[in-house]
Amino acid sequence: MKNIFLHPEKSLTAKLIIAVGLLIVVGSFVFWYALLHKQEKDLVGIAVRYGGSFIDFVKKSTRYSMLNFHRAAIQQTLEDMSIAEGVSRVRIFDHNGRVFFSSQKTEVNSQVDKKSIACKGCHLEPDKSSKLLLNPQEWTIYKARDGYRVLKIIDPIPNEPSCYTAECHIHSSKQKILGFVEADLTLELLDKAQFRQGLALTGYVAIFILAISASLGIILYKLVSKPVSHLVYGMEKVAAGNLDHFIPIKSFDEIGVLTNSFNSMIKDIKAARQQQERFTQTLEAEVAKKTEEIQKTQAGLIQTEKLASLGRMAAGVAHEINNPLTGIVTFAHLMLKRVPPDSEDAEDLKVIIEQSERCAKIIKNLLTFARAIPSEKGKVPVNELLSRTINMVRNQEKFYNIKFDINLDPKNFVALGETSQFQQIFLNMLINAADAMNERGTVTIATRKITVDNKPFVEIEFTDTGSGIPDELQTRLFEPFFTTKPVGKGTGLGLSVSHGIVRHYGGQILVKSTVGKGTSFFVRLHLLEEQVV
Amino acid sequence: MKKILVIDDETIIRLSCERTLIPEGYEVKSALGGKEGLEMLEKEPFTLVLLDLKMPDMDGIEVLKKIKDTWPENKVIMITGYSTVETAVKALKLGAWNYIEKPFTPDALLEAVKEAIG
Ligand code: HEC
Ligand SMILES: Nc1ncnc2c1ncn2[C@@H]1O[C@H](COP(=O)(O)OP(=O)(O)OP(=O)(O)O)[C@@H](O)[C@H]1O
Ligand SMILES: [Mg+2]
Repeated sequence: MKNIFLHPEKSLTAKLIIAVGLLIVVGSFVFWYALLHKQEKDLVGIAVRYGGSFIDFVKKSTRYSMLNFHRAAIQQTLEDMSIAEGVSRVRIFDHNGRVFFSSQKTEVNSQVDKKSIACKGCHLEPDKSSKLLLNPQEWTIYKARDGYRVLKIIDPIPNEPSCYTAECHIHSSKQKILGFVEADLTLELLDKAQFRQGLALTGYVAIFILAISASLGIILYKLVSKPVSHLVYGMEKVAAGNLDHFIPIKSFDEIGVLTNSFNSMIKDIKAARQQQERFTQTLEAEVAKKTEEIQKTQAGLIQTEKLASLGRMAAGVAHEINNPLTGIVTFAHLMLKRVPPDSEDAEDLKVIIEQSERCAKIIKNLLTFARAIPSEKGKVPVNELLSRTINMVRNQEKFYNIKFDINLDPKNFVALGETSQFQQIFLNMLINAADAMNERGTVTIATRKITVDNKPFVEIEFTDTGSGIPDELQTRLFEPFFTTKPVGKGTGLGLSVSHGIVRHYGGQILVKSTVGKGTSFFVRLHLLEEQVV
Repeated sequence: MKKILVIDDETIIRLSCERTLIPEGYEVKSALGGKEGLEMLEKEPFTLVLLDLKMPDMDGIEVLKKIKDTWPENKVIMITGYSTVETAVKALKLGAWNYIEKPFTPDALLEAVKEAIG
């Protein structure tokens, strides 16, 4: 509201009021002017008519004196008439402009101005008779010295027989116009009335403008300024970040619609921002998850690489150690044959042989591990390899008392990998199962196709009826050198190497185990093809 | 008397074979490498060759091929480190009679030799 007075250029209401005020002023002025103009015309017309009859009255009053040539009487009559209100002057002059009678005595015998309407009303040039105006002007209005207007009427006195036959013989019969009666009638009253009227009208207009402006101001303030300032306030709040601000809707006009759409816009912005925040949060979580995955993979790779180089080194060493070990075993045996059986020497030699054999076993396992280093990618016929591996172990003493329950999918699955490496994995699974069951029980081997993350995998299941693995150990199974087997029996490399190989080919190994019931290992390998037999 | 040639660059392996087999009545001679072994085979016949798979001067598989080319009746037993199934199969395909894994016990060696030449 302050703006209307302090900064009208900033206030819509002020601008509207100024515009409307200007329109009213201009409109009133035009109206006022037209009114006055019409009124003036009417009033002047009336004045002229009254003036005309006044002149007739003068003519009639002086006619008798004229015909009888009573100059003094005429003069007196004119003087008397000028006393009447509104009559400034009455005079009579002849066609040459010589004043014969006048209500102002001093003017008698003076000459009228030939350039005035007294002559120019009929002649353009009064000295030449030929140029006569078609529409003679018989009256004019001029301004007197006191500021009020005066109506001057001139009326010719036509010649008539009684004039030129009169006894005085002043006029000849040839003259058409003997002279003129001229009356100056003041329009003071009219002017005064008009001025008062104008004043009143201006006053009314001023009051009207004030009233219109005030009511317009109030109406605009109620209808426009206030709701708009609500909107502006709301927008400032939103700009400052407050999205909970709601502008109440108080009308159903355009501003109501605007407020409504503003409110719904804020609602949309709020929803969008919330969604964005949610999105950012999920994105962060996603990034964290992926980072963790990458770190895990990296750790896995480092681990695999570490194991691989360890394996290569171990392989070299193992090969070399086999030679001296052969010597130790051979010579211990030779000595054993020479010493008396059951002697202390024989027992000692047996210890040497046992420990050498233990060395041999460790080396063998190390070499298995060394060979497990992932090499070229290729195709592995899973079912075929499984059957071959099972047949291989079946003929071994360790598996004599183990029943095989084989449920291979009839399709020939071809997985991504390397045959000898996968054979090692399968072998280790079978040996682990046999160990867990104390070489007595059932091993179930099954294959099936599964889908993980929209990618096809072949899942190989090894289930035994063995001891099972306690939960707290399940996470450690794949650690290198983790074993629960007696010293010399297991090196704890089997699962760790298997895990490394499977991971290398993008697969995974899962465990499910119940202590006392048994264990299932699931080896998942990338499925390349499935051949229907 | 059955003559056996041991071809191995490792002294202890040669010694182990000699000390295991000689008391059992075999005549055992040794060569330090593939080349020397082939030279000895040209000079005198042997009933059995014990051949190391990995030697610095010549690959055991190469020596096996040469022996089988020249003296097809000659029996060969391969001495391998921890052998892969593949190398063993390869050696057998090339005509090797059998293979024994290092480290071997005297009994294992004797068993393999007896199985081959009695
Ligand atoms: C009402 C119109 C009228 C007015 C006013 C008028 N005249 Fe004339 N005037 C006439 C007419 C009509 C004639 C021609 C016939 C006539 O002679 O009467 C005429 C003729 C004349 C003539 C030439 C003829 C003659 O009389 O010898 C003169 C000069 C003349 N006017 C001068 C004047 C002068 C000076 C005035 C101003 C004081 C004047 N007139 C005002 C209408 C007018
Ligand atoms: N089927 C199973 N049932 C119960 N425990 C198992 C089974 N498979 C593996 N384990 C446990 O996991 C350990 C690690 O197995 P892994 O194959 O890695 O090594 P290992 O069998 O002990 O030795 P290696 O395989 O190197 O000879 C085993 O010692 C055993 O405790
Ligand atoms: Mg194992």
